[in-house]
Amino acid sequence: MQKVILFPQSCKGMEDCGICAFVCPRSLFVASEEMNESGYLPPLPPDEEKCTACGNCMIYCPDFAIAVEGGAVDGSEE
Amino acid sequence: MSEKTHPLRKYMRPQVKKTTFCPGCGAGIITQALLRAIDELGLTMDDFVFVSGIGCSAWIPSPLLNADTLHTTHGRPIAYASGVKMGLPDKHVVVVSGDGDLSAIGGNHLIHAARRNIDMTVILVNNGIYGMTGGQTAPTTPYGLTTITSPYGNAEQEFDISALVVAAGGSYVARWTTYHPRQMTKSIKKAIQKKGFAMIEAITQCPMQFGRVSKQGSAVNMLKNYKQNGIRIEKAAKMDPSELQGKIVEGVFVDCDKPELISSVAALQRRTGGKE
Amino acid sequence: MSEARRVNTGTHFMMGNQACAEGVIAAGCGFAAGYPITPASEVFNALAKQLPKAGGTLLQTEDEISAVCTAVGASWAGLKSFTVTSGPGISLMQENIGLAVATETPLVIVDVQRLGPSTGVPSIGMAGDMVQVARGSHGDYQIIALCPESPQEMFDMTVQAFNLAEEYRVPVFVMAEGFVGHMRERVVIPDESEIRLVYRKITQGGEPLTRRDFLDPEVASMPVFGRGLKTHVTSSCHDEYGMRNLSDPDVMHRYIMTPIQKILSKRDRIVEIEADYEGAKLVLISYGVVSRASRQAAAMARAEGLKVGTLRLKTAWPFPDKEVRAAAESADFILVLENNTGQMYPYIKAESAHACKVGFLGPQVLGQIHDPQYILAKIREIMK
Repeated sequence: MQKVILFPQSCKGMEDCGICAFVCPRSLFVASEEMNESGYLPPLPPDEEKCTACGNCMIYCPDFAIAVEGGAVDGSEE
Repeated sequence: MSEKTHPLRKYMRPQVKKTTFCPGCGAGIITQALLRAIDELGLTMDDFVFVSGIGCSAWIPSPLLNADTLHTTHGRPIAYASGVKMGLPDKHVVVVSGDGDLSAIGGNHLIHAARRNIDMTVILVNNGIYGMTGGQTAPTTPYGLTTITSPYGNAEQEFDISALVVAAGGSYVARWTTYHPRQMTKSIKKAIQKKGFAMIEAITQCPMQFGRVSKQGSAVNMLKNYKQNGIRIEKAAKMDPSELQGKIVEGVFVDCDKPELISSVAALQRRTGGKE
Repeated sequence: MSEARRVNTGTHFMMGNQACAEGVIAAGCGFAAGYPITPASEVFNALAKQLPKAGGTLLQTEDEISAVCTAVGASWAGLKSFTVTSGPGISLMQENIGLAVATETPLVIVDVQRLGPSTGVPSIGMAGDMVQVARGSHGDYQIIALCPESPQEMFDMTVQAFNLAEEYRVPVFVMAEGFVGHMRERVVIPDESEIRLVYRKITQGGEPLTRRDFLDPEVASMPVFGRGLKTHVTSSCHDEYGMRNLSDPDVMHRYIMTPIQKILSKRDRIVEIEADYEGAKLVLISYGVVSRASRQAAAMARAEGLKVGTLRLKTAWPFPDKEVRAAAESADFILVLENNTGQMYPYIKAESAHACKVGFLGPQVLGQIHDPQYILAKIREIMK
């Protein structure tokens, strides 16, 4: 069973970065309304029912703020 | 809050809680591509020495990576790394630094390290601009682009760094944008395993400076641009130069085996009786 | 530490630059970097032949900037490291000499000085780099510099330079002049067992960034690479643990002051002079090749009944302030002899002008060594 784990304190924000939302093929990332310690708005946990564990959000996240367990990291973008 | 940590956290210094990069900066994607390569190769951080120069990307290894790390002066990391490698021939020596650091002020060291074919991996983080100092023109800034120091448009031609290193004698040269981090990881693995001079030119978004001056804007817009304009070297080879305007040619530019410096030096030491 | 060493024991008739190379190998140097430059080339030429046989490695780099950087890198890899050049090369190295100071890296740099400024005259020796090796990189710092006056001292001081570099984790310069580098003289190289060698203390374990790897006035042990120590080294401002800190003024203060104090607090153990001025009214102060003429001029003056003594600075940096002061306080006149237009003169004057008169005498023609007769004439004029 795949699982997306967020580390919201590491995130630099959906507004300023937002890469997770862009690379998720199912557009599962939306911003939380709660700021983290650094004042950024991290994503809310995505709907795991819809997540395919493609691993994109993890490998594209520049801040090591997302991990995907049980996912196929070795997928392909194209 | 989960007690779990990111699977690549184990490669980072526990005292360093987060990266120093601006939101959306591609340096973190490249950091992850590098750590994933180390992870997939089954190597440990004690197998490595990381060397960097000055600029945003020089802060990829220093202080983040939990390994021997040497953060040096502007332009000189390859020279420092050459000395480290001469002293520690069994370690993987990896240089991580920017396009300004390695191709402008440090260009001479880059081409001569490639010529010597010293066993080393260089991750050249190319954001096309001087980010840390506020968005000045770099040797990699596209022709015509307006920057802080080219307010009327960049009058200079840009460097094709991968072609330069191929010509200088590198054994492995690949270029990937941050839109292709999986390919980048594969290439970094190859580069680490290559006995010789290997360079990955990592094209990356600097939304804060390049994004602003190029009007491409956000990190996402810049990644979209890489997605649209990235083109594989195999396909590019069949295209007319005019069709390649504005395209970013990606892929492996060279992958060959030739005599490597450190082995050659060891061989001459054995020949002269200085080493068993 | 893997050691490359081979001692060419015996009595030789040898060029100063060759004697220097023998010193490099006798000191156990593991890595040498260099770029061809007159009048220093013979040192690296000789090492190219001899160092691999002794188990060391060398790299002829693309420029002197690379030479000093490569040597620093090899020093962090655990090797005794070396580079050799002349004035133009020192000028190019300056920024990274600063890095060696800031990262407390043991390193030996031999400067076979030539006539400047600029490309000047390659084959003519002049002590033109005396201040630039100590003050040429930006910021405040202390290094060690030794001044050989003979091929014998090219050997002796090269070995000594490695010992000082290893003991204090600092770049050490051997300030030869082209004349000494190219001079041929008797050189006695002792038996291997008689040459004292010093090796840096190496850190054994401990947690990186919590371990005191830097900024210890008593000299921190060196966490060299390749031993799983996960060392963090940065040339930017850092604390005792090696962590970069660009915001705390206290850290900035210690980053500058501790490496300075590390050398200045040990200056009594580092500084060496040769004093021969008891009862002298006039003391000739010199260093390097000029000291030979200085001694001869003093001997001639004494033969005429003039009370003349000599003080030779074997160490130029850290500056022998106390030793100069002692000479000034015992004499009526200090005459500074230098193979330049007076580079150390202001430093000597600052330590002596309170106690006696101070004058300077450069060579009669720049680019030529002082003629003892010329010095004697000046002595007579002063003492008449």
